[in-house]
Amino acid sequence: MTSDQDTTSDQAGTVPAWTSRGASRSSRPWRGAGLKRERWLGYYFLLPAILLTTALIATPLARAFWTSLHRTRGLRSDFVGLDNYVYLLTTAEFWESLRVSAVFTTVCVFFHMLLGLGLALMLNKVVFARTLLRVGLLAPWIVAPSLGAIIWVWLLEPQFGVVNYMLSSIGLIERYQTWLGTPELALASVMIVDIWRGTPFVMLLLLAGLQGIPRDQYEAATIDGASAWQQFRFITLPNLRYLLVVASTLDVIYTMRHFDVIAVMTAGGPIGATEVLPVLIYNTAFTQNNFGRASAIGILLLGVILIFAIFYLRATQPGKARED
Amino acid sequence: MVMKKRAAIGLVAALTVSLSSSVGALAQEITLQWQATALSEAQYEPIWKDMVAAFEAEHPDVRIEPIMVPRADNWTKFVTSAQAGAAPCIVSVPIPSAAYNGYLMSVQDMWDSEPESYKSVWAQNAFGALTFEGELYGLPHYAGIYGEVYNRSLLEAAGLDPEALPTTWEEYLEWAKALTGEDHWATTVLAGPTDTTTRVLLSWIYSNGGRAFNEDLTEATFAKDPKSLEAIKFYLSLASEHGVAAPGPATLNYNEQTILFAQEKIATMRNAYWGLAKVLGDNPDLADDLLVAAPPANSEDAMSVATLTTVSISANCEYPEQAWEFIKFMNEPEWAVRMVSAANWMPLRTDLLDRPEVAGDPIVQTYLEIGANSLTIPLPTPAWEQIASKDVVEAVQRALQEPDRVEEIFTDLDALVTQRLNDI
Repeated sequence: MTSDQDTTSDQAGTVPAWTSRGASRSSRPWRGAGLKRERWLGYYFLLPAILLTTALIATPLARAFWTSLHRTRGLRSDFVGLDNYVYLLTTAEFWESLRVSAVFTTVCVFFHMLLGLGLALMLNKVVFARTLLRVGLLAPWIVAPSLGAIIWVWLLEPQFGVVNYMLSSIGLIERYQTWLGTPELALASVMIVDIWRGTPFVMLLLLAGLQGIPRDQYEAATIDGASAWQQFRFITLPNLRYLLVVASTLDVIYTMRHFDVIAVMTAGGPIGATEVLPVLIYNTAFTQNNFGRASAIGILLLGVILIFAIFYLRATQPGKARED
Repeated sequence: MVMKKRAAIGLVAALTVSLSSSVGALAQEITLQWQATALSEAQYEPIWKDMVAAFEAEHPDVRIEPIMVPRADNWTKFVTSAQAGAAPCIVSVPIPSAAYNGYLMSVQDMWDSEPESYKSVWAQNAFGALTFEGELYGLPHYAGIYGEVYNRSLLEAAGLDPEALPTTWEEYLEWAKALTGEDHWATTVLAGPTDTTTRVLLSWIYSNGGRAFNEDLTEATFAKDPKSLEAIKFYLSLASEHGVAAPGPATLNYNEQTILFAQEKIATMRNAYWGLAKVLGDNPDLADDLLVAAPPANSEDAMSVATLTTVSISANCEYPEQAWEFIKFMNEPEWAVRMVSAANWMPLRTDLLDRPEVAGDPIVQTYLEIGANSLTIPLPTPAWEQIASKDVVEAVQRALQEPDRVEEIFTDLDALVTQRLNDI
């Protein structure tokens, strides 16, 4: 029986033939029982996925939390309760890393959104070489982050790097800079690389949104004499509002837990200037050999990300897009 | 019909016997995984391939499976697999850290059962770095002794005499100034995020007769020892005050240093013998230009640094006896001599020193002379990795940023490292 047939029987007010219990309960509205059963059927279908997710996500998460309650030294560990959390929350290392993460995420997400929207608007307009431009602009996102980071390390290399050569050739810098070797420049450099890497994702989402805006809204606005800015302000932005919220929230989550680019380019240095929380986790686990403390940082980072995840879930509630 | 049936039964029986014998043979074959960063080095590849083939020919029931891993990922990959109880049987990792964490198997009993004639051929001063809490955890494989490497052509171009290489800091600084120009420098100050930064810093400290740690490894003395602090200040001043070092020290490590040397952007580098192999791999034209000397010193009791690469058996290894056999095999004179010649690794067996490949190579001899007056790292503390790869590196980076606060920064480092040494 197809769903179309279901709908037909619903409209006709008859009991679907496949619900054997439906006939004996003809005095009760059949619809509620059927839907309830159908809903449970959905859960049965989801059960393998739920079990798999539990095995792959919940179990390691529980294990990570359990590890965070231990002082670990390789294969040995002692239960220390919340000592790792107390240590982290009372030492500067964690807060400094959180600060670097916050700066990194704020700046990167801001520019991902700004440039992503700009590029999406441009791509939505262009006709000539549209496909080529789309593929070209997506390239940074397609390239594996660690590979892209290695390329950038060589571009930014202080003695032979192309960036220094080009900037000094056009007179923007007087002497070659050590982009990854000084704290301020290193953070700016990894942020620029992350902006290069992350912008296409936002661009792609927003371009899809732009292409869904009915043309007649713009035509009506043009007839009414609206300027380009007014069309953008009163048609484009309201239509994209839902996607902008979704894209920025997802981007915050992605950027907050971003690891590859910084690990490859600076490993968190110099002097911790680029040591975002995921890099601090890695350094704590593998340089300090302290898996307990690294797990505690991971749990705290998860807490931060969960706040944004809840925001994202609320923003994407069914019907929310329509309301917006 | 009966014949056909008998033939079929015979065929099935033959197949069954053949299959079961094959399965039996497969079941008897032992696979030993061998993880080492050197496996991916071009100059070592032909040697280890021949070595594995020879070992497998001698031991048909054992198969060696090489696990190649980049230098930067060696420890991470090992720890991850060790945590999962699936570490490769044969590994080259820092012994104190790995043994302390329970990742390695003691080879003390296997070593004790070896004849004296075998035990006596090893350089005995190498064994300190192989022992943890009184137990031996591996065999030495090769050493890297830090000397000063010069480019003869660049020295001559600067009007310096290659036959009279500098022996003191003052002479070195004078030379360094002569070797520095607008787009080229005398040397590098290393401050990149690896333990190479610490190795080179220690070589400067030792060249002044200083010490960075006390004898029983309970205290760091980078700033506390005046000779150590003096050496640190002099070394860092090459970059911050005198401008004779390539810019961007915090981005420079072994790889960048050897590239700069190969491209003749720097004229000298503090490096081990294997650094020369890397340079010649990048620029073979320098083959006749390489000179090696002891690091310039500022004290009569100056020393240098020797690093030790070891081979151990992981704690989860199911076939330790076969692994021990392979470890011994890879240190046989035939392979050790080839490693000296082709891979530029310093031998740790005293019975190799008279071999013509070793005795007849003036650069090897120079390195061996430097090595006779060197202190070995890694130091036998489980905190070594963290101290060498992070704490010292950050202090050097910070001191380069704030040259007026060098003493304060290294005093803080002393406190931090002392805490780590005692927080075991």
